[in-house]
Amino acid sequence: MEVWDVPQIKKEVESLKYHLAFTREMSFKTILETLMWIEDAIPKDLFLNPDLMKNNPWVEKGKVRILI
Amino acid sequence: MCDQTFLVNVFGSCDKCFKQRALRPVFKKSQQLSYCSICAEIMATDGLHENETLASLKSEAESLKGKLEEERAKLHDVELHQVAERVEALGQFVMKTRRTLKGHGNKVLCMDWCKDKRRIVSSSQDGKVIVWDSFTTNKEHAVTMPCTWVMACAYAPSGCAIACGGLDNKCSVYPLTFDKNENMAAKKKSVAMHTNYLSACSFTNSDMQILTASGDGTCALWDVESGQLLQSFHGHGADVLCLDLAPSETGNTFVSGGCDKKAMVWDMRSGQCVQAFETHESDINSVRYYPSGDAFASGSDDATCRLYDLRADREVAIYSKESIIFGASSVDFSLSGRLLFAGYNDYTINVWDVLKGSRVSILFGHENRVSTLRVSPDGTAFCSGSWDHTLRVWA
Repeated sequence: MEVWDVPQIKKEVESLKYHLAFTREMSFKTILETLMWIEDAIPKDLFLNPDLMKNNPWVEKGKVRILI
Repeated sequence: MCDQTFLVNVFGSCDKCFKQRALRPVFKKSQQLSYCSICAEIMATDGLHENETLASLKSEAESLKGKLEEERAKLHDVELHQVAERVEALGQFVMKTRRTLKGHGNKVLCMDWCKDKRRIVSSSQDGKVIVWDSFTTNKEHAVTMPCTWVMACAYAPSGCAIACGGLDNKCSVYPLTFDKNENMAAKKKSVAMHTNYLSACSFTNSDMQILTASGDGTCALWDVESGQLLQSFHGHGADVLCLDLAPSETGNTFVSGGCDKKAMVWDMRSGQCVQAFETHESDINSVRYYPSGDAFASGSDDATCRLYDLRADREVAIYSKESIIFGASSVDFSLSGRLLFAGYNDYTINVWDVLKGSRVSILFGHENRVSTLRVSPDGTAFCSGSWDHTLRVWA
């Protein structure tokens, strides 16, 4: 049977007190700001811009033609 | 069939008092010892102040957890998917394998991109660490480690060194040299020393410090030059499996995930756990900060990925489907944070719309579990590593 480590429980209590004192913000505010951040960043995201993808160095520029 | 129940007592020398008595297993800092019942009782009450009992401490912890949930609920006024309803849906994706890196002799366990957006370091169960030019698929360096299961590797910010480790319980740094006559292994520097396997490692903003996570339940920050332990992070109740550093603009924190189903956010300077999230139902295999630094995603053996908002201090999204029943091993965001790429134990990679919570694509190609996945530093591609011994670059 496992015996609880007192220092471990004390550390957990201390950590929980610290966490409880954390200054939280309203979900609506933080989510809205995340949305705005994404909207600003999307133009640079190649995966979401087919036009930018054309210049992606990983994408092949042409096709290989096999001559028989 | 015999249906009698037997009580087995193990007799032997107590690890504390050395007297021959009936023994019981105890765990001290993840190490199993055998104590007699008297020493076990004494150990259980060590460190208690007057009027403190183990029961009172546990009760205080439970009470604090309850208060924490109340505080979180007060600020929970809206769900992410509700706010995201007004956001335009994403179109179709065409993403495919652009490069396949073959050369490992066994499962690929970890990989990392160099800041030059081209080189990749990968590590494998075969004991080898390989540096690739992923554009040409050429191998530029290869190191054979003294152990198999090299579970962690990382590229230094300068591109001049790599770090790796695994079942050797260490994190070692190898400077990279293009001198063909020089033996890389000869220049090896052992930096970190844990008491169990190394599961993850990451350089901080410079080549001078490394952050490690271990099966011994701790994370640690080390000075590369001297090998000195700068800070240790205690709090996980089981193996730590993953970590990720906050983007440098957002401060000195990192997030870790472990077998205790907890994701914990740490202050690197004080060693204090500043936030903890315990909503997963199984081991957390991967954690990754959102590009803005205000959130992070996790991937777990419970077959879900989740998004946690650090400022609201709560989980805000779960990425799951009934048809997905295998664990998620590795997650990463696209440059904008709108897409979440997740590798799974069912050999697939799912692409999630972070805002709407829906899956936008599923990528097939690997012939065994996907074990590691990272988006390139410029967001033009991502690389996945697998138990099928290969790495794939997708774009």
